[in-house]
Amino acid sequence: MGVIRNEIRRLRFEHGEMTQQELAEKIKVTRQTVNAIELGKYSPSLEAAFRISAVFGKPLESVFHYSQDE
Amino acid sequence: MSFREKSAWISVLSMTGIYGFYFWSVIHAGPHAGGFHLGSLLVTIIALVILQVVLTIAVAIFTPKEAQAPRDERDKLIELRAMRVAYAGLATSVALACFFGAFNPPIIFNTNSLLFILVTAEILRSACQIIQYRRGA
Repeated sequence: MGVIRNEIRRLRFEHGEMTQQELAEKIKVTRQTVNAIELGKYSPSLEAAFRISAVFGKPLESVFHYSQDE
Repeated sequence: MSFREKSAWISVLSMTGIYGFYFWSVIHAGPHAGGFHLGSLLVTIIALVILQVVLTIAVAIFTPKEAQAPRDERDKLIELRAMRVAYAGLATSVALACFFGAFNPPIIFNTNSLLFILVTAEILRSACQIIQYRRGA
């Protein structure tokens, strides 16, 4: 079973210490959902993943990583 | 804790408390107290609606921003998963009720057993939502 990891926490920090609430409002989800995504507890839909990438101005593969061996 | 999770808690606690009291009173009234059951059921439904509305409004007052936010994709996924579990429980319980109904129990038993199944399925749905919100998704 693969695991999807992400760089959201680091990217938020690099973007003026953006809060989870601010990111949540930009991608139109709740703060709790952003938190769950960040902790790897919830895998976002492709659309939400693209919206997150767009907020940080990064390609999708720079924000999310898929590793198959875990 | 999100507004949706709080709503699920309100649903579980209010239904368990109020319907718990109703079924307790039904059991103690015996199988032939039809009128009492009907009156008691109406009071139960009204009490449940009032309690849920009051609690939901109270939660919305304290977290107005969250209360106004529409359901996001995770909320919808959690809702669908919870509905699937509750439906499985509902279908199984109805099949069992049909089986035991073949033994001609008093009509009041049939009515209340179906109500019990519906209430249990609804509590199960909300409980599943809470578990998934606690786990992340």
